Amino acid sequence: MKKIIATIIKEWLLMKRDFAGLLLLLVMPAILIVVMALIQDAPFKDYQEVRFDLLLADNDHGILATQIKNGLRQSKNFHVTDSIGGQELSEQQLKNMLQDGSGNYKIGIVIPKGVTAEVVNSANIIVNSMSGKMGMSASLPVRAARDQIFVQMYFDPVSMPSFRASISNALDKFITYACSNVLVDRLSLLSGQKADTSAKANPDLKKILQGVGIKEEPLNDKGNYKQHINSVQHNVPAWAIFGMFFIVIPLAGHMIREREEGSALRIALVPNVYKSVAMGKIIFYTLICTLQFFIMFGIGLWVMPLLGLPSIYLGTHPVLLLPIAICIGFAATTYGYLIGAIFKTVNQALPFGSISIVILSAMGGVWVPIDLLSKTMQHVAMVSPLHWGLTAVNNVILRDGSVKDVLLPLTVLTCLGVVLWLISIFLNSRRYQSVQ
Amino acid sequence: MPYAIEINDLYKNYKGAWTPALNGFSFTVRKNTVMGLLGPNGAGKTTSINIICGLVEPDKGSAKVFGKDCVKDMLAIRHIIGVVPQQIALFGNLTATENFMYIGRLYGLNDATITKRANSLMERLGLEKHADKRIKSYSGGMKRRANIIASLLHEPELLILDEPTAGVDVQSRAMIMTFLNDYKQLGKTILYTSHLLDEAEQICDEVVIIDEGKFVIDGTPKELITNTPDAKKLEDVFLHYTGHSVRD
Repeated sequence: MKKIIATIIKEWLLMKRDFAGLLLLLVMPAILIVVMALIQDAPFKDYQEVRFDLLLADNDHGILATQIKNGLRQSKNFHVTDSIGGQELSEQQLKNMLQDGSGNYKIGIVIPKGVTAEVVNSANIIVNSMSGKMGMSASLPVRAARDQIFVQMYFDPVSMPSFRASISNALDKFITYACSNVLVDRLSLLSGQKADTSAKANPDLKKILQGVGIKEEPLNDKGNYKQHINSVQHNVPAWAIFGMFFIVIPLAGHMIREREEGSALRIALVPNVYKSVAMGKIIFYTLICTLQFFIMFGIGLWVMPLLGLPSIYLGTHPVLLLPIAICIGFAATTYGYLIGAIFKTVNQALPFGSISIVILSAMGGVWVPIDLLSKTMQHVAMVSPLHWGLTAVNNVILRDGSVKDVLLPLTVLTCLGVVLWLISIFLNSRRYQSVQ
Repeated sequence: MPYAIEINDLYKNYKGAWTPALNGFSFTVRKNTVMGLLGPNGAGKTTSINIICGLVEPDKGSAKVFGKDCVKDMLAIRHIIGVVPQQIALFGNLTATENFMYIGRLYGLNDATITKRANSLMERLGLEKHADKRIKSYSGGMKRRANIIASLLHEPELLILDEPTAGVDVQSRAMIMTFLNDYKQLGKTILYTSHLLDEAEQICDEVVIIDEGKFVIDGTPKELITNTPDAKKLEDVFLHYTGHSVRD
């Protein structure tokens, strides 16, 4: 034990004297999580909270076009521009404005001529059909249905598919609502009365037409989890774990430099200390990783709100974050120790170490949630220690999990760390056999 | 048991090497003597030392230190030997005191003992004023002297020095030589390698010459000079037996 403590003291003295290195270990991940949380803030926000500038060219000027425009204007999502300088926007102007490269407008809608007439005709056909079946004599004027008319949508070419899908769905709801209004209006003619289908006259119409609605409910009553689906909640743990694994760089670098300068040989000459020295080094760097983890979470708690982002929520069992941080730190440290044992030069170890962490993080769901990956990649993710680390943290801070929810990932991380450490010891024990 | 070291028919071939590092090498070192292990570059000196220290296992043959086998009793041997490697085997970013404290603790010594021994050795090797300076700020000679101190903290019976004066100035070399002579007076055994044959002639009780992994000759410097035709100094003996061709 004294030898382990002696090694921890030695490592602390060395790190203290490499103050720039220590700062980099703590400051760079901090910058990373702040930047990533800020960048990813918008995509994490519900589109209900965002207001888009929307161009609209109305070639119809009918009831349907009016209802779509009114619906869009009443919505919190869209700011509708349908005229420039008092002149109605033409389809060509709309396309030009979307393509001018300024990025001011990302969405354009063209309501084609005759769309209201087509919807009214369709509604009349339905009403006549219903009237016949009900034995009523009412008959509304109809003609043969024409080819389907589309409300055209245009997007700025840089718009992401998910953004297009969201806007398309929102618009589809408005059109369905407007079409339903026309149908109700035509149905009312069966009784010879003019219906008022405005939202004011019949505020529940939308609800009635929707029939069965959709409402998201929390899985449990442990916490109001929906409040915690935000950029900070996802980015702070993911990038904190990513940053922890970068301990590989200083650790592997120190090990190789100690071999190069000869101090590792001095240790090798002292009887029966190799495992104690290795353990001291691993404990020290695991503590540094743990410190790093809590500094990152501290930033999530106290710094993010200063930047206009939400504060990180630590779940209903925040104390579990301590063993989680230790296990992730242990896995990261032993991985660095293995790289330091395998490679002979810093020039080999550092590029491999950093690139392998980026690969493991991509595999492990730091960049893209693994649920979005293919089945094969979801299985591959299991080999990434970052995946297990992230799973453990998410189980606590997103799913309000307890001890049993983190046991599996922590066991995997610990076993992985032990295996990596044993391999490193074996590799180091063979080292002098091949040195002339 | 009169021998501190008994090396018997050692063979060692490293992976990928063109020639064996040791090819049936044998020699002995008597207790309480300074033995010079001399040879050209690549002769097998460092491999012999590494086998004695238990850092490398021989392919064949045996090495014993005070009767203990260097493979089977490696841990016991490391308690009674001190090794001064060619490299400065110290942490450059730690001070001399911090280095000695750490190494002493690894040997299981208590802090008071380490401090007492380190201070005494630093005083004898002229480092007492630089105890709290980082090793990386030391001159070449100071680093060599610190390297020797680190190997003596646990008071070994056998001190093995691999070119301890390489690249140091005359003053430092003289100080190291004086120190080694004094150390021998304590009843200790020293195995010493060097390319500086004048130095070896001055300090060694006996020398053994190794070349291409094989034993060439041994004896006291005086005997070897006397018995070698036209030899006036140890360097002449060395060139007589190892030739004038340059070794790569």
